[in-house]
Amino acid sequence: MNSPKDDFAVQTLNLSRKFGDLTAVDGIDLNINKGELFALLGPNGAGKTTTINMLCCLLKPTGGTARIMGHDILTQPYRVKDIIGVSPQETVLSERLNSRENLELIGRTHGVEAAELKSRSQELLATMGLEARAKDQVRKFSGGMKRRLNIIMALVHNPQVVFLDEPTLGLDPQARRAIWEYVVKLKKEKTVLLTTHYMDEADSLADRIGIIDEGKIVALGTTHELKNSLLDKQTMVIQATGITPQAIEKLRSKYAGVEATGDTLVVSHKQLGFQEIVGLLHDAGVAVHSAYMKEPTLDDVFLNITGKELRE
Amino acid sequence: MRLLALAMRNLKETYRDPLALGFLLGFPLIFMLLFGAIFSGDTLPEFTVGVIDQDNTMMSQAFTDQALPMVPVLSVTTYDDADTALKDLKFGELNAYIVIPPGFGEQVSQNWQGAKADITLDMTYDESDVMISEQLITIINEVTRAFARIEVPVTVNAVPIHVENQIDYIDFIGPRIITFGLLILIPTAARPIVRDKEKGFLARLLTTPTHPVDFILGYSLSMVAITIAQIAIFIFGAWLMGMDIIGNLGLAFLIFFLTGLCSVGIGMVIASLSKSENQAEPLAWIFSMPLAMLSGCWFSIELMPSYIRAAAFAFPYAHTIEAARGVLIRGVGLEAVGNDFLFLIGWAVVIFAIGIVLFRRSMRS
Repeated sequence: MNSPKDDFAVQTLNLSRKFGDLTAVDGIDLNINKGELFALLGPNGAGKTTTINMLCCLLKPTGGTARIMGHDILTQPYRVKDIIGVSPQETVLSERLNSRENLELIGRTHGVEAAELKSRSQELLATMGLEARAKDQVRKFSGGMKRRLNIIMALVHNPQVVFLDEPTLGLDPQARRAIWEYVVKLKKEKTVLLTTHYMDEADSLADRIGIIDEGKIVALGTTHELKNSLLDKQTMVIQATGITPQAIEKLRSKYAGVEATGDTLVVSHKQLGFQEIVGLLHDAGVAVHSAYMKEPTLDDVFLNITGKELRE
Repeated sequence: MRLLALAMRNLKETYRDPLALGFLLGFPLIFMLLFGAIFSGDTLPEFTVGVIDQDNTMMSQAFTDQALPMVPVLSVTTYDDADTALKDLKFGELNAYIVIPPGFGEQVSQNWQGAKADITLDMTYDESDVMISEQLITIINEVTRAFARIEVPVTVNAVPIHVENQIDYIDFIGPRIITFGLLILIPTAARPIVRDKEKGFLARLLTTPTHPVDFILGYSLSMVAITIAQIAIFIFGAWLMGMDIIGNLGLAFLIFFLTGLCSVGIGMVIASLSKSENQAEPLAWIFSMPLAMLSGCWFSIELMPSYIRAAAFAFPYAHTIEAARGVLIRGVGLEAVGNDFLFLIGWAVVIFAIGIVLFRRSMRS
């Protein structure tokens, strides 16, 4: 029987975790819908992994609780473990087993029947391009291959909720893209909670993003919603030659934020008139080579909220 | 400079790891204290000797009641018949028994009066411990010679329990080597758990619906298979080297198997208490090496002071050596080693229970 709380795949209620005097997670309230791909974005040490560890019952909260598909992590940990799949931040494999054996190990701990396990392993290995190396011990795998196996080990038992903790950490762009493609396929099939400190990853994969800093959710919404929160200020970037102090003054008389670095002009204001700025510069004898309106990034969002850059 | 920098780094790594530092500095201290206690001259070993007086003269009674008990290392018990003494010898209650033959009193009296009469004693001893039997033959010879006031050695007809088998050194050392091998299972059992713990594989498994009991039994089961294989190889190797197996091989195997289980259990406990291999390894060795020495893997515990012997029998391995020697060399059955057997079962059950509790606690943390 579904109760209202079951409407969410993941629901955290004032979830907190302290380590001595350090508050790693500080009263997080999150509701993640079923079938949603939710990204928890934040810098290293923001509390992403601690949150995941609590949600997958590895770590007990020091305050609050959470529910996964309606099951409480404190009182029903084994019900929770039954329905989740976890891909940890570190690549954790049994190095002397082959990839199929690694998958089967996790499948068996979840009680998946042998025939189903075999076909599911086959399917997952094929999806991740590991089929040809299915019988090789994984210690001989490249970092990217290990990472892909690390992810499908979280899926072999067909879980309802999947936690992917920094799934592309330390991978080259090509390997990252391969994993992204797979994660996109998971959308709608499963509820996915992904942590990352790569804003492009959150930007291109997530249905919704929660920005976390110092253990708190500081912003929450779709990527558009988050970026639109910065639309009270527009930014225009201009490449030009012949930029004179007079031209800059002329711009500043109309727009407050004007910065000139070499041949680049960055103009920021509540509302910018593209044609007007180009015309104004032309009249002042500046040769404009290119100009574009700069879209706000998640980094800008983070910077705007915390005063820090996400890369810090 | 590079060399110094590297040396400093290594020293700092050790200095800042309390367990490693404790192992490096504590291990020599523990070893020396233990060696010192075992071989200190303040306390003497104790040999249990039975006496069957077939002479029944005043002279033989004086020898039994006064001369023999005067030797500090001997604990003397009198028997009415040789069969009971032989049973106690086989059961490990005695190290040897002496039969004072008829005419012994007369022979001694003649010597006291100046005539040179031969003195003869029959001694049956447990040949499963050559360290003890050689010393005992010498002691009995010396005390009899002093009692009879003769210069020449007394004729001691020393006979091992199993005259049909020639007991070699391998028979004496075999059970001890196997027991030592099983002690090494302590670090072997701890290693895979702490490795999985350290590398995060255990954490990954903890996100699955696996229960603590499943974990500890899963790790144990693999170690049980290794234990069985090791015991089989040990026994086969000892047999190849010429060790006689007089008693029931199955019973000996079971004794070793229970011992292996105890080692695996101790390994589990150490793994539960350790966060990394760096912590578990020293802990396992600091436990197993002194225990090997204490339990009589290298020296007969009969030669050790009584309080050391008492400490040794609080752990499984001294019982293993006792029981294995009884079964393999003296050829006794379960009725003789029953207490050791029950002790090993109890120890295995208790240590596994402790292992499960500690493992569960370490999972929570």
